[in-house]
Amino acid sequence: MTDKPDAAALLEEARRALLDTLLPLLPPEHRYDGLMVANAMAIAAREAGQGDAVLREAAQRLAALLPEPGDTTNASWQARLPELETRLAREIRAGRCDAGIRREAVADYLRWSVVVRLRLSNPKALPNP
Amino acid sequence: MTIDLAADAAARERLSRFIARAAGARRAALSNIAPLRGGAIQENWSLDIDLEGGALAGRYALVLRTDAPSRVAASHGRAQEFALLRLARAAGVTVPEPLWLCGDPAVLGRAFYLMRRMPGVAAGHRIVKDPSLGGPRHALAERLGQELARIHAVTPQTLARLLPGQSFDFLAPSSANPGLDRVQLYRRYLDDLADPHPVLEWGLRWLELHSRPAGEITLVHQDFRTGNYLVDERGLTAILDWEFCAWGDPMSDIGWFCARCWRFGAVDREAGGIAARAPFYRGYEAACGRRIDPAAVHYWEVAAHVRWAVIALQQAARHLSGAQRSLELALTGRIVPELELEILRLIDSPEGRAA
Repeated sequence: MTDKPDAAALLEEARRALLDTLLPLLPPEHRYDGLMVANAMAIAAREAGQGDAVLREAAQRLAALLPEPGDTTNASWQARLPELETRLAREIRAGRCDAGIRREAVADYLRWSVVVRLRLSNPKALPNP
Repeated sequence: MTIDLAADAAARERLSRFIARAAGARRAALSNIAPLRGGAIQENWSLDIDLEGGALAGRYALVLRTDAPSRVAASHGRAQEFALLRLARAAGVTVPEPLWLCGDPAVLGRAFYLMRRMPGVAAGHRIVKDPSLGGPRHALAERLGQELARIHAVTPQTLARLLPGQSFDFLAPSSANPGLDRVQLYRRYLDDLADPHPVLEWGLRWLELHSRPAGEITLVHQDFRTGNYLVDERGLTAILDWEFCAWGDPMSDIGWFCARCWRFGAVDREAGGIAARAPFYRGYEAACGRRIDPAAVHYWEVAAHVRWAVIALQQAARHLSGAQRSLELALTGRIVPELELEILRLIDSPEGRAA
């Protein structure tokens, strides 16, 4: 039950109006402010269009890395994502991911998570495939 | 409380009387007062003064620097910064001459000092893009290396000789292993933030496992990078932003200067986005005789990205908490993944794996 255009499409259109129509009218000292607003709208548009699948995948990947992950198949995985990340952070700090297969698996997850977040925050900075 | 010097005639009058007294002049006439775009930490004003009478009579182009209402906890106040500018000048570093410090809140509401206004541009993205600024780039890089070497010539032992009578007890001390000090500090900072940051923990754990005692402990600037020095069309005119100085490993300043996050997009020019590392290193080594250890610089480049990510998170937290609503601070929170990408890349690189 959603009306069209959706949030991502609205933000993209509003950003186009800002950049094409309004930015040329801004005095030079406020040009940077205009560009920051456009950047914030671009990030928000990408995030609104991302969907849930990638966050669900993050929870599943984290659960696979952690001892006693609990149940991540039910609807509560969204609520559990910060908790799982907190636990991974503690495992890393305690030196329990320093070596072996565990190290490689955690490094894989971290690289994947950075790429996922970079796609939203700054796709231009993504590493070459 | 923010004082608007441009609008507040009474504040200008108090400032004028303070300057006249400090300079031993009969009268100080202020003109051309304008705000300068500074950082989030301090407020800067540009102004000119005409001193009548006294030994310093004449016209001066000045910058007034005062504490901003919201300060970053790790940064020094203006009185400390004034002392650091005097120290840097005594050590032969190119800095604006510090003139008068006022700690009396009755004048402008907060501590402030005045220094000479140096010509030039500091904006990093402009310096990196416009080759007409700063003169020949290899010469600029070499000169910056020399300047940094002069900063690092200040040690706990040489301090008293350089500026007798001035206390520098406010400088954060360092253990023999400054890398470990930083790991503990940044973990404390992360623990004060709401959300977990596994990639930064990964970086901190690597820094913990690979830390080594510093070759020596010197004064470190801690924000020596493109964006924090002034250049005109001929070359360097001043090293700025002394508010984060501490005791530490001199290699940490080299790593900060060369870190990818301070190349302003010119990632192939590894010395601050302006030149290759070679001229910067050459200028540094020639000026102080100390050898630059590439492994130590690599370590401190990892530490640089962790540090900037932690500061970015703190800045975003100031926005999120409502302490200082700002789109700029909010967007700063969104640069963290770029910094994390570089942390992972540096740790996975041959240098990182060999360390």
